[in-house]
Order: sequence, then structure tokens, then C-alpha cells
Amino acid sequence: MVLANVALVAALWSGAAWAIRPDEILANPKLEHRARAIGTELRCLVCQNESIDDSNADLAHDLRVLVRQRLVAGDTDEQVKQYVVARYGNYVLLKPPFMAETYLLWFGPVLLLFCAAGVAAIYIRRTSQTAQTAPLTEDESRRLSALLDEPGRKKEDS
Amino acid sequence: MIAEFGLFALILALLVAAVQATIPLIGAARGDAVWMSLDRPSAFTQFCLVAIAFGCLMWLHVTSDFSVLNVVQSSHTDKPLLYKITGVWANHEGSMMLWTLILVLYGLAVSIFGRDLPPALRARALAIQGMIGFGFILFILLTSNPFLRVDPAPVNGDGLNPLLQDPGLAFHPPFLYLGYVGFSMAFSFAIAALIEGRVDAAWARWVRPWTLVAWCALTLGVAMGSWWSYYTLGWGGYWAWDPVENASLMPWLAGTALLHSSIVAEKRDTLKSWTIFLAIVTFSLSLLGTFLVRSGVLTSVHSFANDPKRGLFILLLLGVVTGGSLILYAIRAPALKGGGLFAMVSREGGLLFNNIVLSTAAGTVLLGTLYPLFVDALGLGKVSVGPPYFNIVMVPLMLPMIALMAIGPLLAWKRGDLPHALSRLKFAGAATALTVIATLLAAGISTRSLLAGIGLGLGVWLIMGSLTEWAGRVHLFRHSLADSLHRAWHLPRSAYGMTLGHLGLAFILIGVAGSQAWRTEYLEVMHPGDTASVAGYQVKFLGAEENIVGPNYISTRGNFIATRNGRLIADLQPERRMYANPQQPLSTVAIYTNLISDLYVVLGDPAGHGGSVVHIFHNPLVPWIFFGALVMVLGGIVSLTDRHHRIGAPRRRIDVRPRPAAPTVAAPVAVATAKPRYNWMTIVPLACFIVLAGFLVWRLYLVELGFAPNLIPSVMINRPAPAFNLPALAEGQPGVSSADLQGKVTLVNFFASWCIPCREEHPVLPLIAQAGIRLVGISYKDRPQDAKAWLDQLGNPYKAVGVDLYGHAGLDFGVYGVPESYLIDKHGVIRFKQTGPLTPEIIRGTIIPMAEKLAR
Repeated sequence: MVLANVALVAALWSGAAWAIRPDEILANPKLEHRARAIGTELRCLVCQNESIDDSNADLAHDLRVLVRQRLVAGDTDEQVKQYVVARYGNYVLLKPPFMAETYLLWFGPVLLLFCAAGVAAIYIRRTSQTAQTAPLTEDESRRLSALLDEPGRKKEDS
Repeated sequence: MIAEFGLFALILALLVAAVQATIPLIGAARGDAVWMSLDRPSAFTQFCLVAIAFGCLMWLHVTSDFSVLNVVQSSHTDKPLLYKITGVWANHEGSMMLWTLILVLYGLAVSIFGRDLPPALRARALAIQGMIGFGFILFILLTSNPFLRVDPAPVNGDGLNPLLQDPGLAFHPPFLYLGYVGFSMAFSFAIAALIEGRVDAAWARWVRPWTLVAWCALTLGVAMGSWWSYYTLGWGGYWAWDPVENASLMPWLAGTALLHSSIVAEKRDTLKSWTIFLAIVTFSLSLLGTFLVRSGVLTSVHSFANDPKRGLFILLLLGVVTGGSLILYAIRAPALKGGGLFAMVSREGGLLFNNIVLSTAAGTVLLGTLYPLFVDALGLGKVSVGPPYFNIVMVPLMLPMIALMAIGPLLAWKRGDLPHALSRLKFAGAATALTVIATLLAAGISTRSLLAGIGLGLGVWLIMGSLTEWAGRVHLFRHSLADSLHRAWHLPRSAYGMTLGHLGLAFILIGVAGSQAWRTEYLEVMHPGDTASVAGYQVKFLGAEENIVGPNYISTRGNFIATRNGRLIADLQPERRMYANPQQPLSTVAIYTNLISDLYVVLGDPAGHGGSVVHIFHNPLVPWIFFGALVMVLGGIVSLTDRHHRIGAPRRRIDVRPRPAAPTVAAPVAVATAKPRYNWMTIVPLACFIVLAGFLVWRLYLVELGFAPNLIPSVMINRPAPAFNLPALAEGQPGVSSADLQGKVTLVNFFASWCIPCREEHPVLPLIAQAGIRLVGISYKDRPQDAKAWLDQLGNPYKAVGVDLYGHAGLDFGVYGVPESYLIDKHGVIRFKQTGPLTPEIIRGTIIPMAEKLAR
């Protein structure tokens, strides 16, 4: 999405079209399909938040070729990703790995959900408590007893 | 002259904002009717002044006055008139002006439509609006003055980024800002209510339509941005979970929650303190988005030219607005007692559930967007949080909510009957099951089609559920058709608003599910006469016309015809343009849509012999996404026309008797029910905000110090250098291999003749050799003759130079941008990495001392 603003400081990739070039594509559609899946999960390092599949940068092209070379060489998807991570660090993974540093990231949404639900539960309980325990004012109890004592009313009720 | 006039108007507007921010507030506190009555005229004056300033800026842009810096930086005489006008807000300064203009426009709206609001409430709300206006005008004047002159004036301007020379620019930012800023209304009234200590149905009835206006505008703004990127970026994506996109999604999620909770606040007089809280949060998220986009603390494809100073100012503003309001909330909210009781299973319960999920979603987006900064700040390294993360967490969060969206409206207020509601949804359930089964049968059983089936099934469930609810309301099939029609005609418009809003979401869901699952693509070099077959279409490439002259670009236009079963469907003409000012390429996409799917053709690079790289996508159901968004907005608009919501409606409903003595700070309602006691639940948000703000200040400080947020620390430090064996650049000399690195401290320098910073770095390299460090060069992805010529011309400081023609060694080292240098110890272990050019300071201060230590 192009937002508001965009005095795009970008020079490298302006006017980008989908970056993959025909000569990169593997003949084997299954491998190519896997390459695409991996490509969308790897971050182009010189760009601002783009996957290597989306980026026109030269490095992204190199990495796409590398991914395909590793796949052809028989690596699993995980091995290919690890190959890149070994050189560039976890930073290249658009889906951060599950580790101590990212516990909060992965558990955060559940935590937030529990907090929000907890607050809601407390809210409901408090409103019902305050409503139940609010004592009648003197005036109210007088009116209530007057109503209860009313002879005609009793008959109607029974 | 015009520029100075505009600036003068803006300065006057600042002064008027100062008056608007204080006098009515003091008046309301002291019960002084005369002081309070200053609110409307000052809002009106402020609007006029800002409008004059904005008009001046637009005039400067339209007449291409290049003595003004802002015009120079974003305009050019050859730009078409439309983009001269829209170019006003295509840059930071101008877009802040638009922001402010819209803010004062809302202020004007309060003064026009709010004539009969309780004077104290209106005075306070307008004073808050005045404060926000004051902050933003001050921000513009101090850090982002659009009227700055430049002397001597250049002959022409720098032009506008071609991506922005699109009709989308005319609509997307104004609507987005109408949304962002529109939430300031709910915010101002929330603060006014907190000051008064009174939140009643009249308050909610006033806030609801304005929230609806802002929500409609934001929905439209976000959808337009999504559509714009779909047809310009050239790969058919409509949402990329980019930080800037997230910045617009967070207020949308919170605003949608606010929209629903204000229904409960109005109709049932409960959830009031929660509604107030959401009003604060929604507007704060709008401000946070403004901060993130302009401060440089995050990297994004769509960010403005960043400036930490501006960032600091906005952060300060955010601190005052959000921090101040959360303090007020912590003090006052415990006194706001909710009225109506309700059971868990009830309409209120359903809306509360919606609020829980939407706020969790907004929180999750915030968490994911800021998490990389958070980890970096704690020194835990660098992580990226991208689309795969958001897809994984958001989908399970949103799906149950959508499932319950069909049920909620069927529940009664206070206490609903779940079995009864479910029994009414029998038909919807059957349709859903049928959809899932049909999808699986048609698409085969795989994870992908299962996900698509769930998405489509839920979409159908929501559509059927919404229609069931409507059918129930009009007693369809129960009596006569005439009776149903009569009821349908008299059904409140807000009911139609809800139905349309929910249907819109169902369409979006169907669109997303379909486009994710069944998109097909074709990517090949095509020569004239070639035919591609994509998803049942035959797309024939007729050839490319070159040198077509546009107003400020020259383009190559590809001519394609699409046929299906031998029948001509469409002529498609994607272009590859080269803009003149600035010199930038842009490719425009050709799209044929039949409203169910899009055929999307992109003309790529030329490939010789009249051939071109051609990329064709078939995007099923994508039009439904944008159609769904429009239906949602339509729902909002229909709801707005409800008599009940009509702006100004409060005047008939609320008590306009002058209150017995102007309500003083502690209002009767609040004090009567509870003593102001502190409640941990209302303090928590404040505490969270303080942590967040402190952390953003710290980050901003780092950016200001020059820590580029994009610099990635190497994982190769303290690891053995990768094995490589490269041929020598000059014939007859030894090559470079990893074995050579043993025994002596070595600096390996990656360079290239095409790299501009390398030229800057080159003169300082002899310092390395002089310090007794072995300097080895690797010519990175460069033609050997170019590298040779470069060294012949500038001198060869290297002991040996290897050729890494394809960048393989570079990849193994983790090079991502030349020049890069690696300091390697006697045992061949990498000890230090410099990304970017070496400077004498780095060499003397870091590299030489380190090398000496390693040599020992």
C-alpha cells in the first residue's frame, strides 16, 4: 500500500515491478513453488521491509538465485533458510524464529487477549456487584415498604 | 509575498488556537458564560486562517513559485496541473498542513453543528481541539515550515516521485487524514467528559456520529491506499504489513472497537469508561502513526524523508496528548459508574467480545511493529517482523470474531438466548458447510484449499447470518410480503448500516481468501506474436511501441490482447515509463476486471529482438476486497443518515436548560455514585504508555546520534572466515584464498568500481597498510577490466586482489552493500566488520588498536 506520504526516499527500487526475472525461474515447478515460499520469508537486507521476492535490489536477486541453487542441490526448505541465516543472521527471517528473544512477540497476542478478556470479566463482575449491593436509600425503602404494604397490590400479585 | 502572507496567517492561527485552548476552558471551569462563548468564534477564525495559509501554499504550488523551498523540492513546471495541486500534500510539510486543515475543519463542524450542545461540554471539547491545533501549528512553524524561501531561486524544481503522480494521491491522503484527525472529535469529547466527570447518553449520542464519520473516512482512505498500491506497485499486492500500513491499521482497529462500544454506551448507558478509554487510544494511535512515519525510528517503504528533530516534537506532542489524557483518565475514570447490567450472552456481551478481539488485534499490530525496535533497544540483536508473523497471529484472532459476528446481532440486549440464535442460523450453517465442501471438492484437498475453504465458508456464514438477522427484523416469510416490505422500509437506517458493514467485511474476507489461494502467474520473455495462457485466458503480445511521449515522461507501451475461448475480451496496454524530473522509471499495470477476477499485466525489462519480460497475474476475487470496503463505507454512510444519528440530533433530545450553576470540575453525577478512588485498572494504561514513550525517546536519541536503524550487525564476528578461492585480478599475480588469511592480521575489503562510497573510501586505505596490516581487496561483482582501470587510475593499495565476479564469496561473508571490510586475526577468525566506507577515524580509533591487540 502506498501510504499518504511517501516522499519515497527510495532510490534503489522505485518503479519496481515484481522483481523475479524469468531467467531465475526453475524448470521444476515444485522446486520453484518452494523457492517462492522461501523467498517471501526472507528479507532483502538493503531494502526497507521487502522480501527478496519483492525487491529489485541486486542483492535480492543474488539471494533468490542462491535459494534456488540450494534447492537444486537438494537442501530442505529449513536448510536453505539456515544457510542464509548463518551468513546474515536472524534479521533476514521475516518470520522471527521462536527463541528467548521473541517469546514476548509470539506469546504477546495471547497475553493481550487474556488481559483484555480479564479486564472485561472484572468489569462485568464489578458492575453486577455494585448493582446488587447498592443499598436502598431511605426514601426508596420507605416507598418500597409502602408499596408492599398496599393491600390492593398484594391481591394482584397472588 | 504570497508565502509570507500564508506564514502570517498560520502564525495568527497559532495565536487564535492559543485563545481557543484556554479561554473557553477557564470559562467552563468558572462558569463564566461569556468566556465559554468564545469557543465557536475562535474555532471559526482558526479555520479561516488555516484555510488561508493552505490556500497560499496551494497557490505557490500551482503557480510553480520556485522561490519557495517546499515547491522546489516537490514540483516541476512540466508536471500536470492535477499533480501540482495534489503535490501540496505529497511531502512532509504540506501533508502536515493538510492534517491541520482537516483538524480545524472538524473544529468548525463542532461550532456549526454543536450550537445546541451543553455550552460547558462544547467549550471544553473545542478547547481540547484548540490545544491539538496549537501543538500541530507550532510543530509546522518550528520544524516544518512550508513557506521557507530559497535564495537564489532555482530555474526549476526537483519534481515529484513518479509513484506519487497518480490520481490516488488526490484521494488517499485526504481521506486517510479525515479519518485519523476525525478521531480527535471523539477524543476531545472524551477529555471534556472526563473533566466534567459526566458521561451520559447525550454525550454518547454526540460522539457516535463523529466516530462514524472518521471511521468511514479512514476505511475509505486505507482501502484506497490498498487499491493504489495494488495497481501501481506492479505485483498485485494489496497489503504488505509494512510499518506505515500498520500505522493506519491500528487506529482503524481501535476505531472500529470504539464504534461498537459507543453503541453500548449510547443505548445501554454502560461500558462508558471503556468507551472513553478507546477514544483516547484511537486518537493516540493516529498520533503514534504520524510519529512513526516521520521520525525515522522505523524503516518502511513509504516513509517520509525522516528527521529525528521532527520526531522529537511529535513525540513530545504525543506525550502531552496521550500522557495527559491517560493521567486524567486514571484519576477520573473510576468515578464513571457503568449503568446497565448484562449477561455474558447478550448483545452487549457480543459487542464486548468484539471489543476484546479488536483491541487485542490493535495491540498485536503495535507489538509486531515495534518489536524489532524493542529487541534492538535491549541489545538482543536484530529481528525482523514481517508478513508471515502477522498472518500467523492475526488470522486465528480474527476468524473467531468473524464467526461470532453472525451471532451477536441475533442476541437480545441484556440477556440473549444462544440456542435460539443458533437455531435461527441453521440455514447459514448449512450454506457454510456446503461452501467448504464445494471448495474442497473443486480445489482438491490441500492446506491451501482448506484455508481458502475456511475463508470462503466464514464469508458465506457472515453473509447468511447478516441476512438472517435482517430477514428476522422485517418478518420475512412470516406474514405477507407487503408487511415485510413495509417493515423493511421503516427499519432504522442504522440497522441497514450494520448489515452493510458486516456484509462488506464478508466480501473482503472472501476476496482475501480467494486471492491468496488461487492466484496464478505467468512470467516469461515474450516476443511479438507470442501467446501466454493464464487461467483460461489467451494473452497475445502484439509488440511494444517505443518513445510514446507523455506530459512529463517517455514510455514504452506493450500491446496485448486477451481472448477467452476465441472471443476477444480486452486490449491491455501496460507501460514502462521514464519520467524526466526526477529521472525515475515507473511501470504502469494494465488490468482487465470482470468484477470477479482481475487479469493483471506488467511489462518488464526489454529482452532484445522486440521482446520483453512479461508478467501476467490472474488475481481471483481481488475486486471483492475493494468492493467490500466500499460496501462497508456505504454502511457507515447509510447509518449516518439515520434520523437518530443525524448530526445536530442531540439538540432535540438533550436537556438544553442552563444547568444550575455551570458544572464545576467535579460533576454531580460522578460524585454521587462514587468517591474518586484510584483503580489499578485505570492506571495500567498510563504505566504502559510511559514505558512506551520512554523507549521511543531512547530510540530517537539513538537515531539522532547517527545509529542507522538499518545497520545490521554481522553474525560472522568471532567465526572463522568462510572458505573461498578467488582468481587474481591482474594476470600473473597470486589469487586470494582463505588459506592466505592464516598467520597475519588481515583486512579484507570488498569494493567495486560502480560503488560511489568506495570512491570516497579509497584514499584512506593506504593507512591500513602503513599500520602493518595486510590489506586484501576483493573486487565484488565487477567486470575485471573495470576494476583494473579503477585501480590504475586511483592507485592500488592492496597486497592482493581477488575477483568475486558473481558475488559468491560476498554472500558467504554476509556482504550486503559495498564497501565492506572484515578484520581477520592470525587464525583466520573474523573479529570486526565495517559496513560502509572506512574513515580515518575508524581506522585509527578502532581497526589499528584492534589489529595490534590481535597481532600479539
